[in-house]
Amino acid sequence: MVTRPASGPDLAPTASWLDGYAAEASRGDLFGDASRPVADVWRKVAAGLAAATDGDPSALQDATARHAADLGLAFRLTGDEDERSWPLNAMPLIVGAQEWSQVERGLIQRAELMEAIATDIYGEQKLVADGHLPAAVVAGSPFFARRMIGRTPHEGRFIHVYAADLARGPRGQWRVLQDRVRVAGGIGYALENRLAMSRAIGNLLADAHARRLSEFFSGMVEGMAAACRRENPRIALMTPGRFNQTYAEQAHLARYLGLPLVEGRDLTVLDEKLYVGTIAGPKRVDAVWRWIDTTALDPLSFDAKSQLGVPNLFGAWAGGGVEMVNWPGVEVLESAAFAAFMPRLCRTLLGEAPILPNVATWWCGQAVESSTVAARLEELALVPAFGQPVEALANRNPIAGAGLDGKSRVALIDALWRRPMDYCGQEIVHLSTTPAIIDGQIVPRPFTVRAFVARTADGGWTVMPGGFARLSSSTALPTSLMGDGDLSADLWVVDDKPAAAHLGSRVAGEPPISRGGGILASQAADNLFWFGRYNERAEAMVRVVRAILANPADSDGNVDAEGAALPRLAALLVEGGAIEAATAKLPIAKICARALTETRLAGGVATLMRRRQQVGMALRERFARDFWRIVSRPMPSINVERPQSMLSSARWLTEHFSALAGLISENMVRSAAWRFLEIGQRLERAQAICRTARQLTKAGDVTSLGLLLDLCDSQIIYRSRYLTGPSLNPVRDLVLLDPDNPRALVFQVAQVVAHLSALPSSRDDNIPEPPLRAARALLGELQALLATDMTPERLAAMEAQLLALSDAISLRYFLQLDNEDAERRTPLL
Amino acid sequence: MRYSVSHITTLKYAQAVSMAQFNVRLKPAPWNGQVVSDYKLTLDPSPAQVVEGQGGYHVNEARFALREVTSQVQIESRFTVEVEPLPFFVEDAAGPGLAELRERAMKKPDLSDLAPASYIFASPIAQPQHEIARWAGSLLNEAMPVMEAGRALMSAIHGEFTFDADATETDTPPIEAFNRRHGVCQDFSHIMIIAARAHGIPAAYVSGYLRTLPPPGQERLVGADAMHAWVNLWCGEELGWVGFDPTNDKLADTDHIFLGMGRDYSDVAPLDGRFRGAGTQAMYASVDVAPLD
Repeated sequence: MVTRPASGPDLAPTASWLDGYAAEASRGDLFGDASRPVADVWRKVAAGLAAATDGDPSALQDATARHAADLGLAFRLTGDEDERSWPLNAMPLIVGAQEWSQVERGLIQRAELMEAIATDIYGEQKLVADGHLPAAVVAGSPFFARRMIGRTPHEGRFIHVYAADLARGPRGQWRVLQDRVRVAGGIGYALENRLAMSRAIGNLLADAHARRLSEFFSGMVEGMAAACRRENPRIALMTPGRFNQTYAEQAHLARYLGLPLVEGRDLTVLDEKLYVGTIAGPKRVDAVWRWIDTTALDPLSFDAKSQLGVPNLFGAWAGGGVEMVNWPGVEVLESAAFAAFMPRLCRTLLGEAPILPNVATWWCGQAVESSTVAARLEELALVPAFGQPVEALANRNPIAGAGLDGKSRVALIDALWRRPMDYCGQEIVHLSTTPAIIDGQIVPRPFTVRAFVARTADGGWTVMPGGFARLSSSTALPTSLMGDGDLSADLWVVDDKPAAAHLGSRVAGEPPISRGGGILASQAADNLFWFGRYNERAEAMVRVVRAILANPADSDGNVDAEGAALPRLAALLVEGGAIEAATAKLPIAKICARALTETRLAGGVATLMRRRQQVGMALRERFARDFWRIVSRPMPSINVERPQSMLSSARWLTEHFSALAGLISENMVRSAAWRFLEIGQRLERAQAICRTARQLTKAGDVTSLGLLLDLCDSQIIYRSRYLTGPSLNPVRDLVLLDPDNPRALVFQVAQVVAHLSALPSSRDDNIPEPPLRAARALLGELQALLATDMTPERLAAMEAQLLALSDAISLRYFLQLDNEDAERRTPLL
Repeated sequence: MRYSVSHITTLKYAQAVSMAQFNVRLKPAPWNGQVVSDYKLTLDPSPAQVVEGQGGYHVNEARFALREVTSQVQIESRFTVEVEPLPFFVEDAAGPGLAELRERAMKKPDLSDLAPASYIFASPIAQPQHEIARWAGSLLNEAMPVMEAGRALMSAIHGEFTFDADATETDTPPIEAFNRRHGVCQDFSHIMIIAARAHGIPAAYVSGYLRTLPPPGQERLVGADAMHAWVNLWCGEELGWVGFDPTNDKLADTDHIFLGMGRDYSDVAPLDGRFRGAGTQAMYASVDVAPLD
């Protein structure tokens, strides 16, 4: 970059929040140290932020938080049961192109170095043989995969995605705190932070000439594809599952990049090739971007207890059948002990000095280093050499030597003496600060940045022009991605000119046109089906509650009067598993409150909503953001004392279901995924209609028939057709057999038939598969029957047929491994 | 001594299973002072293919898959082995002191499956335990020669612990067996490994066999009717790996037949794998180690 005396002309720096900003000069500050043009960008951005929110920093912070929440950003800390909302600071970190280019060069050099070391360790092992690297530094890592020795990737690329935690020191020097090649955690958060920022203050990004991130991501995926052996390869993102701390991040990435999100149980290895089970049969997977440790990837080759992996996945990658990102075993490079040797290895392997130094580290497995660390403990931090709990660092966290009292110091030196190879001494890094919005004030906060490097198609590297910044709540070094009380922020790399040249120079070929929703894994189809079922079941229960609340005439203590609606409705709740039989005798307010808040019984509305949420989590990458936002809204609170408030809660829920139904019908692509969601809903609704009609046509009284019309949303059509009140056979015809009534039983079955016919067949002979035959048989029966035939017995038989149909669907399309012990490890001798 | 060894394992499944995949680690890996001949692995039903290879550590591994539906699998492993007596100097050797041993282990430029560096760190089952480290600390000191240290740990386990086949399961964590002072060879070996590593001694888990019937006039060894396990300690370049059997309080000698060694049981488990199916299963094993001369 050419240094210019002044900033771009488009936005003149004005008085801003940063005018009164006071960072400690001695510590170093990203804004305080910025060259004049970059400082001007800071002021412009701050002014723009102020203008966007009438000068109130808190309002800006609220708006950013809202955008982050809208994106569904969330995370968990270890031990969290629920996800936390994402703490994104509205003030970005701004780094000039010149400062960044040095970081970029340093990161690429380091990625090259990591690649060269991995190649040696899993190949010739000359570094150890020649004495450049102690054997224990390799063997000490729990991720050293001895089986991988001699197993090199077929394109020779051990590393596709490399991440590094960077610190900026008091004099502006950037340094590597930690290398990450196992999982590039944070890469999705960096992307999401940028999306949230561009929603909140998109124009400022452009005005500041902040570099875009999208080229980085497309370059990364092209790099993965280039390593595969087939044209148009299928690249899957392999997740440990929805209970993983960063599942939300993985789901977002998969959606953004258009990669299928798969779990180990979706995958099978056959003849050294990897397949994902889909509703259309097994489909080849060419590359796996794993978010799973090597040790858990294959229970036959590594940890036999792993439930996350795929048996003999090793055979597939070793045989060249699947490209792994990153190559199994590269995690060995992440340990602190390795950092101690990086400067030396850089000179040995690349013949150059490191551009980006790492935090100074001494591995105590060597006598001299061990004594040095013991002697200089006051000024150093002690860290576990291989990221594992060790005697003196049982929780793996670093300990600063200066903070130790006499007794713990003696214990520590003693432990260090007995097993020196478990420890590293590290210099204590001072972090420079950056302006952050905290409680409506602009204050300096220490920060670290996770930066990302990816392999491109030509085998070179591309560095994300940005990153995931973490503002610490304390000055301690980060041990995980997000700690309690931490904030995240977006890092902007700014050019002094708009990046028009960049865009023009990129010659990306047009992708081949395709339609449809890609593959549908059996697992995902299963989840969609159940999402539809739970959603519909919850809605049906809410309808009953509403009907109870809307019939206040019966609540005057007159519950047992003949023709009273309440007992019949309560019976429906009992049969649906929403309340216990004893509850049905309580006052209506209590019945309704129980049904809505019930979490123990399988049919309680709260239970159903929670289960819907749980399967929904596993589908997050498939749902549009608006859809997910509605799904994750908490249930309204229920006040037993105020039936009126309960009615409004029930109404709120009804509107909630309508909003989802609207999005499903108007916005969801008509893919196989949509069909499974629909099939689940239609089957559930068909069963509910049978059950309700069976209950409410038994006596044939007017009240019951009226309720049946209500619950089937058919009151108005009925009145438009018949001048008299509800009578048995006309009601039966309307809610069961009328093919034009979208709430009728026959309509649901016809829809199921239509969906099943549209799904891919596994047969070559065009003979319909069992689920379709079963659905057609039921439809034919319904089309041939008359209202008088629809006795309670007939309805009970149809319910049984619907259950059998559901089983046939799950047998044909879903994985048969769902219960926990279906796929289990054989016990050892 | 020459022995004929046979080891027959039968797996029975209550419900038929499919896509069963197995690792069998029953063929002895190369070992000093031991020559194996006529190794034969017989499988019923017979799989399409058996892939012979090495496990991650010093152990042979045969892998096979049964795709067809099956309700019983029989694995029969047979071989003849000649075991030489322990070299005369080992019994009387002292080896380097612990502090020096540690430094030598760290300096050895060796990453192989017999390298001391491969066995000095925590492993999946043998995780560091304060109690065991402290217990070992009362028996050892920094200057103690490694052979003496090994004997001290071995004898202490033999003296303080009760052999009890019903006390533990295969997946009982070593610390539980330690706290109860009861267990079998597998538990004793893990406890000794954790204790040795806590003081920087490279320690490996050995799986193998014992001769079934004792020579005339001697007592039958404990653990002889099943597979056995003991501990290899690295005692410096000169002595190399020396076997300590804490279950019988003796060095591994002509009564011990070496199968393989790893960081702990999980590396050398004789049989593991996966199958599809929900039924319960049962396993029967019979081991016979008959002297031939």
